[in-house]
Amino acid sequence: MDYIAIVLMPASLLAIAIGTVAGVVIGAMPGLTATMAVGLLVPFTYTMDPVLGLMLLGGIYAGAMYGGSIPAILLNTPGTPAAVATALEGYAMSREGRGRLALKVSVVASFMGGLISAVVLLMFAPLLAQQALAFGPAETFLLALMGLAGIVSIADEDTSLIKALLAGVLGMIIAVIGTDAMSGSLRYTFGSVELIDGIDFMPALIGLFSMIQMLEIAGQRHATTIDASALERSQKSEPMPKGIGRYMALGSGTGTVVGILPGEGATIAAFLSYNFAKRLAGAKARFGKGAPEGVAAAEAGNNGCVGGSLVPTLTLGIPGNSVAAALMGAFIIHGMIPGPDLFTIHADKTYPFIYSLFIANAVFLIVGISVAPYLARIALIPPAIMVPVISAFAVLGSYALNQSTFDVYLMIGFAFFGLILKKLGYSLEALILGLILGPIAEGGFSQGMIIGKGSPAIFFESNIAKVMWVIILGLLTPPLLAHLRRMLRK
Amino acid sequence: MSRNILDRLLLAGFIGLAVLLYLSTADYSGIAQKTSAKYVRFLAVSFGGLGAIQLLLSLRNRAADERLDLFGRAGRFFGLLAGLVAFALAFEPLGFFIPAAVFIPVIAVLLGYRNPVVIGLSTAGVLAAVWLIFVQLLSVNLPGPSF
Repeated sequence: MDYIAIVLMPASLLAIAIGTVAGVVIGAMPGLTATMAVGLLVPFTYTMDPVLGLMLLGGIYAGAMYGGSIPAILLNTPGTPAAVATALEGYAMSREGRGRLALKVSVVASFMGGLISAVVLLMFAPLLAQQALAFGPAETFLLALMGLAGIVSIADEDTSLIKALLAGVLGMIIAVIGTDAMSGSLRYTFGSVELIDGIDFMPALIGLFSMIQMLEIAGQRHATTIDASALERSQKSEPMPKGIGRYMALGSGTGTVVGILPGEGATIAAFLSYNFAKRLAGAKARFGKGAPEGVAAAEAGNNGCVGGSLVPTLTLGIPGNSVAAALMGAFIIHGMIPGPDLFTIHADKTYPFIYSLFIANAVFLIVGISVAPYLARIALIPPAIMVPVISAFAVLGSYALNQSTFDVYLMIGFAFFGLILKKLGYSLEALILGLILGPIAEGGFSQGMIIGKGSPAIFFESNIAKVMWVIILGLLTPPLLAHLRRMLRK
Repeated sequence: MSRNILDRLLLAGFIGLAVLLYLSTADYSGIAQKTSAKYVRFLAVSFGGLGAIQLLLSLRNRAADERLDLFGRAGRFFGLLAGLVAFALAFEPLGFFIPAAVFIPVIAVLLGYRNPVVIGLSTAGVLAAVWLIFVQLLSVNLPGPSF
């Protein structure tokens, strides 16, 4: 009850409301994603009370996941990649003058998806965290490997498995720069004072997830034009379609499960839920021509990902997706290392954060029902204004955490190098994960080697370690087989 | 430059980096030889090995090579990049507000926007928001002249 009281304090409610509304606005702007928003704002929460800062970021995450659906429905311009499935049916409904109904279905489905996934997070995260109490250094090392293996499982046609692995290891190599924790000697600093403490992951996070998008927008050969004709069309007020609840429940369940799986994101959750709904509805529904069932399943699916992705993030330190990776960064800079400690030592911060997700869902439900059609106009803001404004915040955010201009140069360097890597098909999520998990892996490895008296057998001895190796292989094998199949087909 | 050529150059660089990384572990001192050095060698071998496999796959790939459209409109892309570097350079002596007041309108014009009223209002709005939220509310210390 004490934790609920913390969430219901005026300052907490204000932080959640600001975060959620900001998230909805950011999500509604094409080109800006929840990852970008959370990554950009993490450094600014550093000086805030940790609970308020985390609530603000949680609100942004939940709000942005919903916000993407507004321009997807009214302008056929998904605010976030996760809202692409929503646009398939939502825009068709808007063109028929049923945009108001599509928005209503979308916000209620998002609310339901977010709520169910938050309940799952609240119930299962502490149970899972208890298992992590038996972890020693060897298991910690394997946990970091598991996190990386999970992320590389997203490898597809664009980001091949080997390139994703390469990016993950590159991140771990970058994390080696700085002072060696075992001997205290300096490694790869080239005499630079700024590198003694190593490379902070925050400038990398802002560069790879936020600034890179601005560089891409600035360099775009053709500016995309947005069709705003459906926005003005008269919109009938209709009651919720009968039987829509089961599509929302289907999407919520699918989204939560997909969110829990490492490496699987909200976009996959939305499309999977959409496809399940299509199968469930059969021929009777008008899929492709404006089916509210599709909007319901897709939106419940992408918001279901929010709570789901935080289960492995908070309990095991394995981010379910890139937004969860950015949020994990926020926990770490506030001195809260993901794992069992979050539910024991830091329970007074973690539980209020989880409870705040319920409030965030209620906030976007109110915002969505009352002002969604007006918010769609945010998507019409010219990129030429958006790019310099976001870039200025990226510079400020990179500087703010350590008050170092070196971090600003690092952010620019990561954005430029990251863009080249992205265009060549390397996974940036794996790179940032390598950077975040690298020090955890090295600490576990080094301590494990000392305990094992120099023998790597320690990483295979305990039952937990054996299970973890099976999971790692389980995560790596399917994409590896798919890669081999593709190669043989060629 | 074509996509394949740049990728192969990058992979060759990765392999070179892996070799240098492996060799550098010989200089690790004391306990680090039994711990950190082994970890770094593990990374170097993994990185070099994966880089070599990918390079071989790339060399065997007979698919038509495509030109890498990295920057689209190079002027705007590099203009933003140069603007960011200039912003960072000016950050220490001038603080956030003066460089931002120049950066935002200049980049907006560079990206093709020409409405001075919207540019002016956006710039003023951002600066006011940063001052109010970050300086007054969150007490973020910004360098240079304070307001």
